[in-house]
Amino acid sequence: MFDPKLKEALARVQKPGRYTGGEPGSVYKEKEKVDMRFAFCFPDTYEVGMSFLGEKILYEILNQRENWWCERAFMPWMDMKAEMERLEMPLYTLESKDPLTAFDVVGFTLQYELSYTNILAMLDLAGIPFYSKDRDESWPLIVAGGPCVCNAEPIADFFDMMMLGEGEIQLPMVCEAVEKAKKEGWSKRELLRALAEIEGCYVPSFYNITYKEDGRIEAITPTENAPAVVHKAIIRDMNSQPLPTHFVVPMVGAVHDRASVEVLRGCVRGCRFCQAGFLYRPMRQRDSALLDKAAQELCSNTGYEEISLTSLSTSDHSQLEDLLDRMDVWAGKEHVSISLPSLRVDNFSESLVQKTTKVRKSGLTFAPEAGTQRLRDVINKNVTWEEIEKTCNIAFRAGYTSVKLYFMMGLPTETLEDIEGIAQTAQRIVELFYANPDKPKGKSVQVTISVACFVPKPHTPFQFVPQDTKAQLEEKQQHLLRSVHSRKINVNYHDSSTSFLEAVFAKGDRRLAPVILAAYKKGCFFDGWDECFKYDVWMETFKEFGIDTAFYANRFIGLDELTPWSHLDYGVSHEFLVREYNKALGAMTTKPCNRICSGCGANKLLGGPCFDYSANLVH
Amino acid sequence: MTTVRIWFTKTGEASYISLLDLQRVMGRALKRSGLPVWYTLGFNPHIYMTFTCPLSLGQESLVESVDCKTEEETPDYEAWKTALNRVMPSGVEVFKVGPVVMKPAKIAFADYTVRYHDPAAVQVLEQYNALESAPVVKKTKRGSKTLELKQYIPRLDLRQEGEETLFDLRLPAGDGLNMNPTLLTGYLAEQFGLAAEGVGILRTRLITDDGRDFE
Ligand code: SF4
Repeated sequence: MFDPKLKEALARVQKPGRYTGGEPGSVYKEKEKVDMRFAFCFPDTYEVGMSFLGEKILYEILNQRENWWCERAFMPWMDMKAEMERLEMPLYTLESKDPLTAFDVVGFTLQYELSYTNILAMLDLAGIPFYSKDRDESWPLIVAGGPCVCNAEPIADFFDMMMLGEGEIQLPMVCEAVEKAKKEGWSKRELLRALAEIEGCYVPSFYNITYKEDGRIEAITPTENAPAVVHKAIIRDMNSQPLPTHFVVPMVGAVHDRASVEVLRGCVRGCRFCQAGFLYRPMRQRDSALLDKAAQELCSNTGYEEISLTSLSTSDHSQLEDLLDRMDVWAGKEHVSISLPSLRVDNFSESLVQKTTKVRKSGLTFAPEAGTQRLRDVINKNVTWEEIEKTCNIAFRAGYTSVKLYFMMGLPTETLEDIEGIAQTAQRIVELFYANPDKPKGKSVQVTISVACFVPKPHTPFQFVPQDTKAQLEEKQQHLLRSVHSRKINVNYHDSSTSFLEAVFAKGDRRLAPVILAAYKKGCFFDGWDECFKYDVWMETFKEFGIDTAFYANRFIGLDELTPWSHLDYGVSHEFLVREYNKALGAMTTKPCNRICSGCGANKLLGGPCFDYSANLVH
Repeated sequence: MTTVRIWFTKTGEASYISLLDLQRVMGRALKRSGLPVWYTLGFNPHIYMTFTCPLSLGQESLVESVDCKTEEETPDYEAWKTALNRVMPSGVEVFKVGPVVMKPAKIAFADYTVRYHDPAAVQVLEQYNALESAPVVKKTKRGSKTLELKQYIPRLDLRQEGEETLFDLRLPAGDGLNMNPTLLTGYLAEQFGLAAEGVGILRTRLITDDGRDFE
């Protein structure tokens, strides 16, 4: 039976099903019988968090251990947060409904910078002190994983430990240490010292950061025998890592409410703006037979009628057609449709279109990212107009009538000519449609341009470059609107102020922690949601703390400068990033990894070459 | 083709599954069960399902049912029940699977148990009992009309369970007049300030126009 307070709160909020748990696939254990309890926290809404594959993977891995119990918590939406505060209900996990303080480990996944304040809100709702230094061993160990850990320095002081890289092997090792620490009564410091020895585990409090007078970092000094550089954890052979075959299936719709199998990890493309492309190097794929089996099992265990083949670049899987053929054998019979979310323009073939559109024809989405060939070469997005043309023609013939194009604005070396190029690309696609003799009869075409503001990210060749200022970005947005002349073209663009905050956090350092805490206390959370984002409050808070935001977002970082993330290693060498940056300035491209190795250094993580270049991997 | 009626409870966590979501949840459960359920024909085949007497979000029930079809002529109902209970979310327990005996249109009344946690409830409920008249406005798709609550709920027989105050209700249900217990709890909130949020409402029986249990 639910606690009367919880019942009261649920009666007052929108979509109460987000706060109840009990979904098929959720794991319940007897808490008296488990030795280690882990609260997996997603600092955004249930719908967003339940769409995230990483959580499903780790939930299954941890819960496979009989004496461990991993449960879930999400950031309650504004109405529920207010109810919980009013009724003095601490933040609880969905399974046991126990407060976060009842757990041994509280782990947050950091998927995007604008969720940082939600972490503080969740700690606050749970009654857990914010700063690591204010928590002794009586509090849960507060840890973080996920891509933003590659420079989560702005919130590092809030965490006891952060995990770089892939969690499948690393996280169980962490939990084993916690279990042992608990049994043997270690102090928090003893536990942290043991954790710092695990691959990819970073204990922020073991590093002293000093700053120069001009604000730049002077030194990052390890203490407590911690390694000078933390190297990310990696799964060397994806085929040895089982895929999840059970999902918690949400009952109120998630953003992505479908089964998914991760066909490969990493990406061969080397787009210079893409942080994930560098963080997850080298690309490693799973065999099609293995994927097929896992996909079928997952669909029958979850009851999902749609399965997506996910990764950063699914069409780069060398056995993709074989995989689709295998899945075709059972998918139709079992009422399952297959979707490929990240098709690339340059190898979109006719047979792929057929195999994935059997059930329904959704719109076609592409990400040329830049409007001119020159700028696409700068960012190493190796897409040509000829390829766009070929793909659109295939798609129009197959009955598609809507095309969505993703672009970025504010890219390094960008001029107004590149902005006009965005409009021209869309215009030429409209013309292609009408020139196509096999286009769907009696229908018109709709081209949507979606433009994001470029945010320079750590560990990429563009980490050095300043972000365009708000004024520059707004001028470019206006210029784009002026350059579009057709009613068949829609333009969507995003407010540049969230991208600006994202840039400050992405390249920020530990001096931002008190600002983030102060902004949270003034009511900033859900910063990634337009209806909640309070730009003015943020700016005012930065000012109060004497922080110059331009120092972080709009300043060129010297190629030899020590960055806040210099001690965090993802396998890609600094020399490679500099080399790629210089090539970018000359609009010189770099070939995909499966064609030729460009020597980024990530191969050392595997202990050998990333690809067998004698086999034909490119199709 | 046989139509199969699946009887289930909808309590605890499951009481917060909306009807729209319940259709998806049941569909997936039926798919996972591996039972030979019938799919509709056509461009977008889906499992055929009809829910008997939908429940409001947040209310609990011991007597929910959904009908689906199968090509099996003599389904093994016990085996169905076992297979379904393996795949249901928390709070949904399949307690009976069987043939369709009555049409849903036969439903005329539903019984509920209402549970107040608030200690102030006893006094307010007694005040209700003392009332001569308790008019409420019921909103429907075709507009609103005024009903006399006292006609349907002349008095509440209260009982205590620990700190909680409980009473039972029998209200018109089904295709004709359908009265939700929230008409009463809403009235008590409006007239006497007794909070309606968090009040437990449990549907316990469905009854036909001739006073039998709906089967
Ligand atoms: S070492 Fe070579 S092949 Fe491997 S990820 Fe780096 S550039 Fe690509």
